[in-house]
Amino acid sequence: MNTFLEAGVAIYVALAVALAVWGGVFLYLWRIDRMAQALKQELERDRARTLAEGEQRPVTPRATVTRVGAVGRETVEK
Amino acid sequence: MRQRMGHVAKLLIGLWLAGVAVAMFLVVPQYEGLGNAGRIMIMHVPTAWVSVLAFAVSASFSGLYLWKGRVAYDDYALAAAESGFLFTALATVTGMIFSQVVWGVYWNWDPRQTSIFVLLLIYAALFALRSALEDGQRRRQLSAVYSLFAFVTVPFLIFVAPRLANSTLHPNCAFIAGSQCSGVNLSVGRIGLLGDRKIQLLSLEQQGEVVTAQVQVSEPGLRGEHLLTPSYDLASGKMVSRPEFPGLKYQLGLEKVDLATKSVLLNIEAPGTGLLDNRITLFTFLASITGFTALFVWMLTLRATLLSVQWALAQREGTQA
Repeated sequence: MNTFLEAGVAIYVALAVALAVWGGVFLYLWRIDRMAQALKQELERDRARTLAEGEQRPVTPRATVTRVGAVGRETVEK
Repeated sequence: MRQRMGHVAKLLIGLWLAGVAVAMFLVVPQYEGLGNAGRIMIMHVPTAWVSVLAFAVSASFSGLYLWKGRVAYDDYALAAAESGFLFTALATVTGMIFSQVVWGVYWNWDPRQTSIFVLLLIYAALFALRSALEDGQRRRQLSAVYSLFAFVTVPFLIFVAPRLANSTLHPNCAFIAGSQCSGVNLSVGRIGLLGDRKIQLLSLEQQGEVVTAQVQVSEPGLRGEHLLTPSYDLASGKMVSRPEFPGLKYQLGLEKVDLATKSVLLNIEAPGTGLLDNRITLFTFLASITGFTALFVWMLTLRATLLSVQWALAQREGTQA
């Protein structure tokens, strides 16, 4: 009979397998978590930079034209 | 500071669940008749509970999305549904392992197994629905409505349906302290159902104060028949002999005898009854529920973050509807 399946040993083998699986899942989650956080921070920095650049640029004149017809209203931004 | 606290909390989840695994295999005592197979309950029941919690969270965020219309709520609703699906699958697999050890088969369409399978299909349909709709707004709205309807089925499929069916081998009554299996009342010559076994009371024999019942037990699909003889002591009102169902760890118990009407109350006696009466088992069980709930919260926030990042990237590229 396989040594690993003997009554006294099998439970330790099962525990080792369970811990190895959990360790793998945990490391995977940890890695993904770090990457997601880094990506999120990068996006936030990028958005802040875009906003800052937008503030420095000269303001483009904008206007809102509203046409009122027989059927309804239509708003066009220019 | 907040980020550091987050890292510590995540490390704690890792260590906590590793500790639960060690306690499950090495600290929790074996259960009479079940041996080491009973240990899987420490994982099986908490994962099932967390799946219910996850589906409830998914429904709540779906409702919030329909109310407020924020995309982040949809991200959380989807993340919770996915986590719920994963935990349900985990509960199903651990249940199948237990089923193989105790019932002799991985799957026998027990009401509990059937209802959890239907639940998996319902949530699989949610993911199919989401992937079938290209328009983002429409996808979010429809899946939020679907998620709310899907959650309505959860209490029914998890708590009600398996209890409506008398013929379940799932140890609802065996493992929860204070609850009881109702059993089946039979008079001589009558047929009844216990679990998925057909039983027939053939005769009653009395020797002194001890009454022995001759019970013919048929295996599912009438594949085989066996004669079992549970007995009952009239003086003490206790069961004397509880033979095991062939190929199973469950026993057939004679719980009551009425000689005047020649009728008896027969019941399934599961080994491990009152499992949580043991303090070490109870604490490990509660630690497992806490650990899996914390893991769910981590998975939920992580997946929601990933979805929001994905959405932000797609919006920047101009590909998101």
